[in-house]
Amino acid sequence: MTAIILKDVDKSWGSFQALNGINFQCDEGKLLVLLGPSGCGKSTTLRLIAGLETPTSGTIEIGGKDVSYLPPVKRNISMVFQNYALFPHLSVAQNILFGLKARKVPKPEQKKRLENAADLLGLSNFLNRKPAQLSGGQRQRVALGRSIVAQVSVCLMDEPLSNLDAKLRQEMRQEIRSLQQRLKMTMVYVTHDQVEAMTIADKIILMKDGLIEQHGTPEALYNRPETAFTGNFIGNPPMNILTPDTLLMEAFSAILPARISAEFHQVGVRPENIRISENRGIKAQIETIEYLGADTLILCRFGQQNIILTVKGKTHLCVGDPLRLDWKQDHIHLFDTASGKRLGNVEKDNLS
Amino acid sequence: MRFWDNGTRDTLVTAGAWILGILWLMPVLFAFWSAFHPAEFSTSFELFAPLTLENFTRAWSYAPFPRYLMNTFILVTLILGVQFVLCTLAAYGFARFDFFGRDAIFALVLLQLMIMPEVLLVENYRTISNLGLLDTIPAIGLPYMASAFGIFLLRQSFKTIPNELVEAAQVEGISSLGILWKVYVPLARPTYIAYGLVSVSYHWNNFLWPLVVTSSVGSRPLTVGLAIFGAPESGVDWSIITAATVMTMAPLLVAFILFQRQFVQSFMHSGIK
Repeated sequence: MTAIILKDVDKSWGSFQALNGINFQCDEGKLLVLLGPSGCGKSTTLRLIAGLETPTSGTIEIGGKDVSYLPPVKRNISMVFQNYALFPHLSVAQNILFGLKARKVPKPEQKKRLENAADLLGLSNFLNRKPAQLSGGQRQRVALGRSIVAQVSVCLMDEPLSNLDAKLRQEMRQEIRSLQQRLKMTMVYVTHDQVEAMTIADKIILMKDGLIEQHGTPEALYNRPETAFTGNFIGNPPMNILTPDTLLMEAFSAILPARISAEFHQVGVRPENIRISENRGIKAQIETIEYLGADTLILCRFGQQNIILTVKGKTHLCVGDPLRLDWKQDHIHLFDTASGKRLGNVEKDNLS
Repeated sequence: MRFWDNGTRDTLVTAGAWILGILWLMPVLFAFWSAFHPAEFSTSFELFAPLTLENFTRAWSYAPFPRYLMNTFILVTLILGVQFVLCTLAAYGFARFDFFGRDAIFALVLLQLMIMPEVLLVENYRTISNLGLLDTIPAIGLPYMASAFGIFLLRQSFKTIPNELVEAAQVEGISSLGILWKVYVPLARPTYIAYGLVSVSYHWNNFLWPLVVTSSVGSRPLTVGLAIFGAPESGVDWSIITAATVMTMAPLLVAFILFQRQFVQSFMHSGIK
C-alpha cells in the first residue's frame, strides 16, 4: 500500500522556485531517503509532508487522505529534527511524553509507551535527566523516543545525524534502520550524506535545484545513474565525468560509439572500475596519491583532464609515474552534456 | 599608542570600582548607624555607642508605615503582574508573527524607551484624572504597565529561541498560545527574573509620580510616606528618619542579598549586563 503520495507539488517564495513539479510515492513500511546538496529542496519537501509549509500548488496524500492543507497534527506523522528540538527545561521523560500530554493520551497508556520506548532505546536510566546532561547520541535517542511513542505510521527525519561524530553516526544509522524495520514505520529521511543514504534506504530520491534527478533503489542510482549529476553525487570518490576529446576517443575507439563528440557528450566511469593496464587504454600521468588504508586513490592527468581511480591496498607507484588506464565497455556511462541525461546503453549503440 | 600596561589599568579599574562602591555604600552605612543608635550619636561616631531599637518603634508609631509598606507591596506586585502579561503577549507578537506594520509599530515601542516618564507627568495626570482614578494604587501603576523596556527585552529573548522547538510543538498540535506558554515562557525564564528585579526595584523606589498622583494614606507608597514623614515642617530627627529609611529599603535589600546569585546569573543569561 502507498503511504505517501506527492502529485505535481510546487513551492515558491516570491520569485524563488524551491520545488518544481515534484511527483513521488512512498510505500508503507519503507524507508525513503531524500538526498541532495544543500539548497536542493529536500528539506522543503519534508516540511511540506510534515505540514510545516503548504504547497504553492499540487497535492500531498498521506495514508490515502489528501492532507495538502491540514496542520501537522492532523496528518498522523511524527518528526525528528536536525538539532533534536528537545525542550531544555523538561526532563527526558517529559520530553518524550510532550506530544502525548498535548494529545491528552491517558496516563497509564503514557507510562506504558514511555517504558516501551525507553527500553527500546536504552534510555531507562536517564529518564529524569535534563537534555543538557546527555551526550549527543543520547539526545538523538530522546528525539527518536518522542517519535516512537507517538505510534503513528509515518516518521519524518530531517538530517537527524548531522550533528554527531562519524563513528556515532554509523552506529545510530544502523539503529534507526533496525528500529524502522522492527516497528514497520514508513520513514522519510532527509540527508546530504550519500553514504548514509546508500546504507539505510529502500529507495532514494536524489534532488537538485528543486527537481528530482532520480528516484530508485540505491543499486539503481549507483549502477545506472540517469544523469551525470547522479553519477557524480553517488559514490565515493565520485564518478569521473570525462569529455570525449580526441585522446580519449582514440584510446577507446573499440568500445566508445563513434558518433559521440566532445561538444555534446560526456563519458562517465567509476574510479573503482578503472584498471591499470600494461598495454591498453589511455596514457596518463599520476598527479597525487592518497593512501586510505584499504584503498588508495590515484589522481591522474591526461591531456587537459583529470581522472581518479582507486586500487586495493597500497600502490608501489609514485607521483609523476606514467601509466595506462583501461575499463570495460559496460562500465561506461554516456551522458548528454546539455541536459545531463543518460544516453541509453552503450552496447546497443542506440544513440541518435 | 598605549600609556598604561595592563597591570596599571587593572589597578585603576579596581580603585575606581572601590571608590564608587564606597560612595554608594556611605549613605547606607550612615542610615544603619543612625537608625540603631540614640539621637545624640546620629552625627557623631563612637564605636561603642549604645545600640537601640527605639528609633524603629517611634518611626513605626509616628506614621502609618505598615499601611505604606502594604501599598508599596500591592503596587509593585500589581505592576509586575500586569507587565508580565502585557509584555509577554506584545513581545510574542513582535517576535513570532509577521503582520502589516510590525516593524513600524516596534519602532514606536522603542521610541517610548527614549522618553523619560517625568516628561509626561502633566498629561498622565490629566488622563488618570479623566479616568477617575486619582489617589488610587492602580493610578500609580497604570502609566508603567505597558513597559517598552519589558517588551523589548522579552522580544529579544524570544527571538533567540530556536524555531525547531516551535515546530516540534506544532507537530504535536500545540496552539499558538500553548506554544507561548509551554515553549517561550519557560525558556525565557532568566529574562523574566532579570526584568522582574529591575521592575520591582524601580517601582519600589519610584517617587515623583506617586507623590503627584496620591494624596491619602490609603494609596501612598513607602517612598512618598517617608518623604512626608521627613519633611522639615515635621521637624528633622535624623535617627527616626534613618530608621524609617532602613525599614523602607530593608525588604528589597534582604531579597537582593538572598537571591544575589540567581539575579546575577539571570542578567548574564538574558544578555543585559
